[in-house]
Amino acid sequence: MKASPTTCFATERLTKRFPRVTALNDLTVSAGPGVTGLVGANGAGKSTLIKILLGLQPPTSGSASVLGMDSGTHGMEIRRAVGYMPEHDCLPPDISATEFVVHMAQMSGLPRIAARERAADTLRHVGLDEERYRPMGGYSTGMKQRVKLAQALVHDPRLVFLDEPTNGLDPQGRDDMLALIRRIGTEFGISVVVTSHLLGELERVCDHVIVIDGGRLLRSSAIREFTQVSQTIAVEVEEGLEPLAARLAGAGETVAVQGRTLTVQVAADADPGRTYDAVRDAVCDLSLNLIRLEQRRGRIEDVFKEPAA
Amino acid sequence: MTTEPTAVIHDIGYRHYDGPRLGRGNATMALAVQSLRGTFGLGRAIRAKIMPLLLIAIMFMPVVVSIGVMAVAKERILPYPQYMVFMQAVIAVFLAAQSPYLVAPDLRFRVLPLYLSRPLTVTDYVVAKLSALTVALFLLTAVPLTVMFIGELLVDLPGGARTGDYLASIGGSVVSAVLLASIGVVLASLTPRRGLGVASVIAFYMFTAAVSGMFNGILSSTGHDSLAPWALLLNPFFLTDAVQSGLFGTDPSVGDGYPAGLWTCLILLAEVAVAVSGILLRYRKAAA
Repeated sequence: MKASPTTCFATERLTKRFPRVTALNDLTVSAGPGVTGLVGANGAGKSTLIKILLGLQPPTSGSASVLGMDSGTHGMEIRRAVGYMPEHDCLPPDISATEFVVHMAQMSGLPRIAARERAADTLRHVGLDEERYRPMGGYSTGMKQRVKLAQALVHDPRLVFLDEPTNGLDPQGRDDMLALIRRIGTEFGISVVVTSHLLGELERVCDHVIVIDGGRLLRSSAIREFTQVSQTIAVEVEEGLEPLAARLAGAGETVAVQGRTLTVQVAADADPGRTYDAVRDAVCDLSLNLIRLEQRRGRIEDVFKEPAA
Repeated sequence: MTTEPTAVIHDIGYRHYDGPRLGRGNATMALAVQSLRGTFGLGRAIRAKIMPLLLIAIMFMPVVVSIGVMAVAKERILPYPQYMVFMQAVIAVFLAAQSPYLVAPDLRFRVLPLYLSRPLTVTDYVVAKLSALTVALFLLTAVPLTVMFIGELLVDLPGGARTGDYLASIGGSVVSAVLLASIGVVLASLTPRRGLGVASVIAFYMFTAAVSGMFNGILSSTGHDSLAPWALLLNPFFLTDAVQSGLFGTDPSVGDGYPAGLWTCLILLAEVAVAVSGILLRYRKAAA
């Protein structure tokens, strides 16, 4: 794996005003290596932030840097070291994915032979098989998203910006894309900045989440801090929910019955294993048929319910 | 009975790229070469190859006839410097068909942001596309001219080959390729739709050709003989012919003479400058 720099990107009092709207307002934030989620509603300023980081738009005031390089003055060096997957469609329909990705690799400065090898490798990694030789006009949304991802990865960047990669995908396609993003961040060793307006999906793949709203920073913290606050266990058994609840309550656990499900609070300060053991022992002792036992984490949505800091 | 597997697929996982990373210049060159190949239909579907091949075939027809006449009747019928004006409609169709191909899809399918998120700049992109079309137009006229010259050398007519005329016509090819490419790209880049681009380039050619002929006719019939040649310069092909005539002293292909060479050169340079700045402005805006 490559040596990762300590910061993936950082902004300092970054403001971007357009004639009619302020896209980013005094934003100071930074993200380390790994997978960083950039969350916000549509129009929160996510795409503008990416464009400024790529050095494609100058900020109105403030500064931004990527991999330790200033995006105002070192745009070219940044663009050499990063990959970008735009939110919108960007694939010409009459050429094949292979030709397109080879061409984009060459545009990143790879020699032709290396571009061919990398394109084949990358398309295989994103999961495009024989269809990569067909014109892209006939592709499904899922396949198009994979090609868009491949062109962002083909030159082996140190960091990729993925703008709404799960847009328009069905649940299965969404899961596949998220798994792929996780692999890019871990197995490929490439830092990822991924945007989404769907908060729930990012907690599955990110190490760190930045929430922006109306161009302002709402929250920036490691994913554990988002989710450890209210950890609960959901238990479902075939019959005998009431005795189980009574038994666990008797053992000193905080339980609540929600329909057919029993939720057990895991105290933040205590050893979490104790609660799991208690549930297991209680189910065993009562000879119940366990249907479901799962960890429930607090949702990122909750940050929007908290008053903005 | 089972046999031992002879080949096993290994998942070798993700591999990093440690090879060379070339600069902007190489990327620009790669884009220009890919675009140039595309204008002749290379690396594209069969359908896209038909038009360029047909036009190249038409471009060679007068060459074949000229060489045939030189060989059989021992006569020189087609002066090199007039070839471009003679073939102007064919060159205009090539320009109209290929300049939208070069720029429209990148705008329509929004591929441009992918180029610009790489080390390539807007200017590199424009330079690559313009040089691809310039070289394509140059090859379209210079190759037939050169074949005709080789033919003349082989036929070896008494009085020697017209080397000076041939070289002048090659110079004219360069001038016309630069002018036509910048006009073609600026018109085609105004619309993301290829069909509209084709229509606007061909309409531009027909309009300028008609207007220049009409004004020239009106001015000379009303006795404004000194103004009439200026009207001809509205047609880009007559303008390049005038520049060729001014720079290399060749005979004008139409009329009795063009305005002084210095003026025609200045007009041509101004047209190229306006077109190229139009393209750059257009792309600065498209990139934002």
